[in-house]
Amino acid sequence: MKKIAVCYKWVLSDADIRVNEKTRELDMEKCKPQVNDYDRNGLECGVQIKKATGRELVGITCGASVAASAKDALSRGLDAVYYVEDPALAETDKVGSAKVLAAAVKAIDGVDVVICSEGSSDDYAQQTGPRLAALLDMPSVSYVVKVGAGGDAFTLERKLEEGSEVVEVNAPVVITVSPEVGDAPIPGVKDIIGAKKKPANALTLAGIGISPDAVKPRATRVSVLAPATSRRKQVLNPEGVSLDQAAAALVKQLSADGIL
Amino acid sequence: MSAIWIVAENPDWAAVMVSAAKSVSADALLTVFIPPLPADGLWEDYAPSLVAKAKAEKPSLILVGTSKRGRDLAARSAALLDAPCFSDAKNLALSGNTFSCDTNVYGGSAVRSDSTTEPLVLATIGPKAFEPDPAGISGATAGTLDYTPGKVKVTGRKPRPPQTVNLGEATKVVSVGRGFSEEKDLAAARELAAALGAEVSCSRPIAEFFKWLPEECYVGISGQIIKPQLYVAVGISGQAQHTFGVRDAKVIVSINKDAECLMHQNADYCITGEWQAVIPALVKAVKA
Repeated sequence: MKKIAVCYKWVLSDADIRVNEKTRELDMEKCKPQVNDYDRNGLECGVQIKKATGRELVGITCGASVAASAKDALSRGLDAVYYVEDPALAETDKVGSAKVLAAAVKAIDGVDVVICSEGSSDDYAQQTGPRLAALLDMPSVSYVVKVGAGGDAFTLERKLEEGSEVVEVNAPVVITVSPEVGDAPIPGVKDIIGAKKKPANALTLAGIGISPDAVKPRATRVSVLAPATSRRKQVLNPEGVSLDQAAAALVKQLSADGIL
Repeated sequence: MSAIWIVAENPDWAAVMVSAAKSVSADALLTVFIPPLPADGLWEDYAPSLVAKAKAEKPSLILVGTSKRGRDLAARSAALLDAPCFSDAKNLALSGNTFSCDTNVYGGSAVRSDSTTEPLVLATIGPKAFEPDPAGISGATAGTLDYTPGKVKVTGRKPRPPQTVNLGEATKVVSVGRGFSEEKDLAAARELAAALGAEVSCSRPIAEFFKWLPEECYVGISGQIIKPQLYVAVGISGQAQHTFGVRDAKVIVSINKDAECLMHQNADYCITGEWQAVIPALVKAVKA
């Protein structure tokens, strides 16, 4: 049976990043792993293409610690998940992760539609979809906001800076979607329970033909630092101050700053 | 002497990358490619031609403008050339064989510096990352790329509708986020904007999912990046993707019911409370 593969990244939630005010280094301790926000739209797009074309829908991910992602991803409409977990992937970059994902796509029988999202909330480098297409020798259509699918034929609308572009392409194809392609529903209790019964398949780097050298990072990370900010963070309504007083204080302050 | 290639959709952007290239190496041999948009095919399908040329002529650095088309072309080319690609690179430098640059991570809440000794590196460069070179592209060699149509057929192109607001010019901006649960609630934000003489903007979901405001109104790393004198964020949680778009505002005010929200951490003045109560108080104070 033909399959749609949606690639997703298991990332640390950036909402809980704290910055060490002295060193400007990031404290990620409170950040929990989650399915990259952008990929949730990609997964939902996969669900819609499954409905329209009757293909099976699988998810693919890779990383140093991604087995735990399967249950979450499976609650978002996938029939199965394939994951490549290996400590060697902890430091890999876009060069390496695209190779792993491409090899995983080839290892799964029948994948002729690959969905990626435009970027990830951590790096937002926006490379994985087009890289995958190149490595798989499939056409790449990126920044897609509307998908029309019937059988093997796809009509896709892309949104670019200067306007929109409508294209036609047949599977096999790598479609990279922007969030506008469709809001992702929050999985319900039924989806979460159902996810436990669906298969999560472990793939190994060796099993899909990826050598340890292929995933070595191609650049050295020198530093990751938050830019210095000088925001005052002054709370105008601490306990005991009414909103009217706070509002008046703000207007006075903005006048003093030369803004009003 | 190293060879640096520049790939852009138009000469203006190429001139920005001429500056970027000169910042890396003052005496590099520059070749500029500005391949024309094919009538019924993807611009990105120049990638195989670029790759074949690069394999033959071995430049050390390929700079591509970070338009969406440029990002796609750069990533595809990088994959085919088995090379790293740095997205939206800044502070490019070459010291001996070591290339280094900065990129934004976590929605712009941090900057990552990388260095590499790879023989070929690609980087995408934003339209405002460098001042355009005063001489434009006149000092560079003009390169050409052959076009072989790919499997994707373009059947229609539509220019984007004219913009109704110009946030880039606004000195004061009131911005709304998911703290607003209904479109009609925006009336309150508009009232505050009117009192302040401000434009109204929003976070990405308000424009893209709810479509309460036109797309050119959303502020953030993938939307508008603005530098107003005053930015009032109402009901915006303040994810890094959003705050990146106003990091250069002179004064930021955050109004939010959650005292712990990230927007408060990125603001000069914070009022903690429901917007339904704060906005009327603020409108009254502004008018007083």
